[in-house]
Amino acid sequence: MTLTTAAPELASTTEPSPPKKAPRRKKPRLTVGRFFAWAALVAVMLITLIPFYWMLRTSFSTSTSLGSDPGSPFPVDFTLGAYERVLGLATPAEALAEGGSGASINFWAYLRNSLIVATVTTIGQVLFCSMAAYAFARLQWKGRDLVFSSFIAALMVPPIFTTIPNFVTIRELGLLNTYAGIILPTLLMTPFAVFFLRQFFLGISREVEEAAIIDGAGPIRRFFQVILPLGSAPIATLAILTYITSWNEYFWPQLVGREEDVRVLTVALGVFRSQTPQGGPDWAGLMAATLIAALPILILFLFMGRRVINSIGYSGTK
Amino acid sequence: MTAPTTTRPKAGRAQPSGLVPPRKPLITLKRREALAAWGFVLPALLGFLAFFVWPALSGLYYSFTDFDLLTAPEFIGLDNYTRLAADPLFWNAIGTTSYYVAINIGLQTVLALGIAVLMHRLTQSMVIRGIVMLPYLIANVIAALVWFYMFDFQFGIVNEVINAIGLDRVAFFGESDWAIPTVALINVWRHMGYTALLIFAGLQTIPKEVYEAGAIDGGSELRMFRSITLPLLRPVLAMVLVVTVTGSFQLFDTIAVTTQGGPVNSTRVINYYIFDMAFNRFDFGYGSAMALALFVLLAAFTFIQLRLTRANKSDLG
Amino acid sequence: MMNKSTRYLAALAAVPLLALTACAGGGGGDDASASGEITYWLWDSNQQVAYQQCATDFEAANDGASVKIEQYGYDDYFQTLTTSLVGGNAPDVITNHPSFFPQLASTGQLLGLDDVVESEGIDFDDYQAGIPELWVGEDGVRYGLPKDWDTVATIYNAGYLAEAGLTPESLQNLEWNPEDGGTWEDTIAHLSVDVNGVRGDEPGYDAKNVEVYGLGLKSKSGIGAFGQTQWSMYALSTGWEYADKNPFGTDFNYADDEYIDTIAWWRSLTEKGFMPSYQAASSGVGIKDAYGAGSYALVTDGSWNARSYYGFTGIESGIAPLPIGPSGERVGILNGLADSVLASSENPELSKKWVAYLASADCQDVVAEAAVVFPALNSSSEKAREAFSAAGLDVSVYYDAVAAGETELAPIANHWVDVLAIMEPAVESVLIFEAEPESLKEAAAEVDKLFAND
Repeated sequence: MTLTTAAPELASTTEPSPPKKAPRRKKPRLTVGRFFAWAALVAVMLITLIPFYWMLRTSFSTSTSLGSDPGSPFPVDFTLGAYERVLGLATPAEALAEGGSGASINFWAYLRNSLIVATVTTIGQVLFCSMAAYAFARLQWKGRDLVFSSFIAALMVPPIFTTIPNFVTIRELGLLNTYAGIILPTLLMTPFAVFFLRQFFLGISREVEEAAIIDGAGPIRRFFQVILPLGSAPIATLAILTYITSWNEYFWPQLVGREEDVRVLTVALGVFRSQTPQGGPDWAGLMAATLIAALPILILFLFMGRRVINSIGYSGTK
Repeated sequence: MTAPTTTRPKAGRAQPSGLVPPRKPLITLKRREALAAWGFVLPALLGFLAFFVWPALSGLYYSFTDFDLLTAPEFIGLDNYTRLAADPLFWNAIGTTSYYVAINIGLQTVLALGIAVLMHRLTQSMVIRGIVMLPYLIANVIAALVWFYMFDFQFGIVNEVINAIGLDRVAFFGESDWAIPTVALINVWRHMGYTALLIFAGLQTIPKEVYEAGAIDGGSELRMFRSITLPLLRPVLAMVLVVTVTGSFQLFDTIAVTTQGGPVNSTRVINYYIFDMAFNRFDFGYGSAMALALFVLLAAFTFIQLRLTRANKSDLG
Repeated sequence: MMNKSTRYLAALAAVPLLALTACAGGGGGDDASASGEITYWLWDSNQQVAYQQCATDFEAANDGASVKIEQYGYDDYFQTLTTSLVGGNAPDVITNHPSFFPQLASTGQLLGLDDVVESEGIDFDDYQAGIPELWVGEDGVRYGLPKDWDTVATIYNAGYLAEAGLTPESLQNLEWNPEDGGTWEDTIAHLSVDVNGVRGDEPGYDAKNVEVYGLGLKSKSGIGAFGQTQWSMYALSTGWEYADKNPFGTDFNYADDEYIDTIAWWRSLTEKGFMPSYQAASSGVGIKDAYGAGSYALVTDGSWNARSYYGFTGIESGIAPLPIGPSGERVGILNGLADSVLASSENPELSKKWVAYLASADCQDVVAEAAVVFPALNSSSEKAREAFSAAGLDVSVYYDAVAAGETELAPIANHWVDVLAIMEPAVESVLIFEAEPESLKEAAAEVDKLFAND
C-alpha cells in the first residue's frame, strides 16, 4: 500500500504496519488459554451478527403472524411480502392482508435522495478538503498556521451548538427541504477531513514535488499531478468514511429535509416507524426496509472491505 | 492530536532556475504560491466561516436572547443562563447524559480493548475484522429500531430467551433504571467493533520484538498485556477516548426512535433536550445557552482527560 | 387520538406572529379559478389509499387542479407541522385533531370555513351528531369540516373468552366502580392467567408471572390528561368531567377524588397482575402487537384501530361495549377529525374546494369503502358499517353506543398541549410507583396555573 510511504514524517508510534502477512514463527499450539480466547472472539462475532440475522428473519415473516411465534429462529409464515411492500410491488390489498399499511412507500425516491446527498457531500467534501489540506501541508503562505489552528479548534465544538444557527441560516436562505439545505453545511469542509488529509500530505516525499517545481509546475499542476496521485489512498479512505457517515446521518436531514421530495432513507425509516396512530408498525416491512437501506453500504463494504477496515485504523491513529 | 510542526522552508527552494526571471525571483514565487494557497483554501474557508464560525458566533449571541425564529432575537442578558442554572430538567439531562457516557465509554473501551487484543494475538483475518465492524456500517436509527424490536417486553427475542431460561422478563425501555443502560448497550454494540479496530491499529504499531522478548522471558499473555500492551497503547487509547467521549455526548438518534426521553424524564439526554427546546418549542435562545454550556463542559472535560492520560507521551520513547 | 408529541404543539404559542407576517399576502380571494397544486397532509397511512383515490377523483373533476398527499407518522405530525409553519413551507390543507385546533385557530394559522359551508350548502344535520360542533373556535368561527368520527369500545380475544368459559354476551352488561372494580374487574381477573395456568380469581395466582393479562395497557398517548382509550371510560362514568365546561373549559378537575380514585384503582390492576406494568407496556412495540402475540384478553381501544386487531394469525377478535359505571351509564369519548385550511396557503380557493370535497359524499363514500374509519357524513357512515361487515368486522357496538348517547365529546381547550405536558409525566410517575395518586393534586395545581391569567 502506498500509505506506508505516505507518512514517514509522523511519529513512528502511530504508524500501522502494512497488512502484509507476516510469516508466523510457527503454528501456535491450541492451549486452554487460546481456546477460551477463540471462544470469546466467536461470542463477540455472534453478538455482532445476531441482530442482522434477526432483521433478515423478521423481514421474511408475515407481520400479522410475528406475535404467534415470537421466539422462532426462522421466519414466521415465510413471505417475500415485506420486500414487495417496501419496493412498491404489492397492491394495497396485498399489503393490508399481511399487516402493511397499504400506503405507498416511495422507497426508490428515498434511495435516490440518499444517494444524491451522500455522493455530492462526499465528492465536495473530499475535493475541497484535499485542496485545503494541500495548502496547509505543502504551501508557504502568511496566516497558514492561524487558519489551520482555527480549523482544528472547530473539532472541539459540539455539533448541536452549530446546528441551531445553521438551521436559521438554511431557513433564511430559503433552503429548507432542498438537497442544498441538507448538503451545504458539510459540502465544503469538515475540520476532521482537513486535518486527516493534511497529516498524510505532510508525509509525501518532497523530492517528487521539487522535481515538478524544477519542471516548472505551478501549485495547481503539482496538486493534480503529484499530490492527488500520491495521496490517493488516504483520499479514498476519507471518501469511504465520509460516505458512510453521510449515508447514516439522521439528525440534520430530519431537521431540514423531512419533505418527501428530499427525504433520505434514515428519515424515512423514522417516519415509517410511526405510520399508524398508536399502532404497532409493520415490523416485517420495517425490517425489510432497514435491510435494503443498509444494502448500498454493505455492498460498498463487500467490495472495499479491506480498505475500509484499514482506513478505520488510520483515521484513529492520525 | 499530534500537533503539527511547521515544515521548514527548504533553503534551495527559491534558487533561481532558468524559468524564473532573475530580478526579485523570491517574492514573485512566494506571491504566486501564497495566491495559489488562498485559492486552494478558499472553498473550505468559506464553508468554515459560513457553517462553523458564523454559527458559533451567532449561537453565542442567541444564547443571550429570546429568539423564537419568527421575530428578531431580543437581547435579554443572562436570563437564559439564570434559567439554566435553576432548570431541574437541564441538570437532569446533564446527569442522564453523564450516566450514559460513563456506561457507554466504560463498557465500550473495555470490550473494544478486549476484542482488539484477542484479534491481535489470535488472527490477522480480514473477515473477522470485517464482521466485527459490521454494525458501524448501519445507521444509528436502524440499530436502535432493531434492538427496540428485539428488546420488546412481550415478544422481543431477548425477553423470550430470558424467559426461557427461567428469569423474569425485563422492561428494557420502560424501567427508569434500565432505560439508559439499554440505550448505552445498543450503542456499545454499534461502536465496539469500530473502536476495537482503532485500538487494533495501535496494537500493530507495537514492535513484534517486544512481545518476542517478553515471551522468551516467559511472560504470560496476561502479564505481557499489563506490562507491554497497555503502557505502549496509552497514546492511542487516549486518542480513542477523546473521540468516543466527545461522540457519545452527541446521543440523539437512539433516543429519538426509542424512548423519546421517557419514562418520565429518565432518558432525556442533553442533546435531546436541546433539540426539543429549540426545534419543538422554538426557544432558540435557551437552546443555544444550553448548547454553549455543553460546549464549555465538554472542553473542560477533554482538557482534563488529556492531562490525566498524558496523551502526548508514549512509554515507547 | 392523543400522543406524547402533542406537547410540541406548545411551540405554536410562538407562532402567532407568523399569522400577521406571512399570511398578510396569502388569502386574497380574487383568483376564483380552482387550479394549481396544493399539498394535503394526513397521518394515518392506513387511510392514505382512500384519500389518494379522493384526490384522483377531485383532480379529474377540476381541470388543472392537483393535490399532493403527504403522510407523516402521528408521532411527528404536529411537530413537523409546526416546523413547516415556522419554516414557511407549510401544506395547504391538513388533517386536524380537536385537541390541537384551538391552538392553531387562536394563533391565526387556520382559515375560517364558514363561507365554504354557505357556498357548498353543507347541512350539518347530515353529519354525525356532535361532531360538527367540535370544529367551531372560541370566536364562533368554523375551522374544520368534519371528516370522520370515532369512539371507544372493548375488543376481546374470543379464544381466551371461550377458554375462560365466558361468552361474548357475558361482556355486554359489566359494571365497574372504583372501590372493587365490580363485575368488570371480576371478568378481567378471570381472564388473567399466570404461567402455571392459574386464573386471576383463583387462589395461588402468581401476579408476577403472568401469561395472559385480562386487560391490555397502552402507554403514553395522552395517558395523563386525556386517557381516551385508557381510563376515560371509568372516570367519566363516575360523573367526573375534565373541566367546568366543554369545549373551552378553564377550570380542570384533575384534583377531584373521582379522577384520583379512578387512577388509583386502575393502577391497582398492575399490582394484582391483571394488567401489565407500565414499564412493560412502554418497553416495546405497542398494545396491538402485544395483543397479537396473545398477551391480552381484553383491550379498550378506539374504533380507528379496531380493524388492526383483526387479522392476527391464530386470534379471533370481537367487539363488546364498555362497562357501566357508578353513574349507571357507560361513557365513551366521542371524537372526530376534520380537514382544515392553513392560513398560509397560497391557493385558498382550491384548498377550500378540496376541503369541501373531502367532506362530501363523493369522497366520504370512498373512505367508507376502505373500512378503516367511520366517515362523519351519516350516509357514508352507514356504508362504512356495511364495508366493515363485509370485511368480517361487526362494528355495531361503536354505532350503538353513539346512537344510545353513551358518549361524551373529547375535551377541547386552550393550553391543552401544556395540560398534556404536565399531566403525562405526573400520571406516568404514579403508574410506575414512583409517586402516589395523591401527588396528582400537585400536577392539577400546575394545570390551574395555566388558566390563571386568562
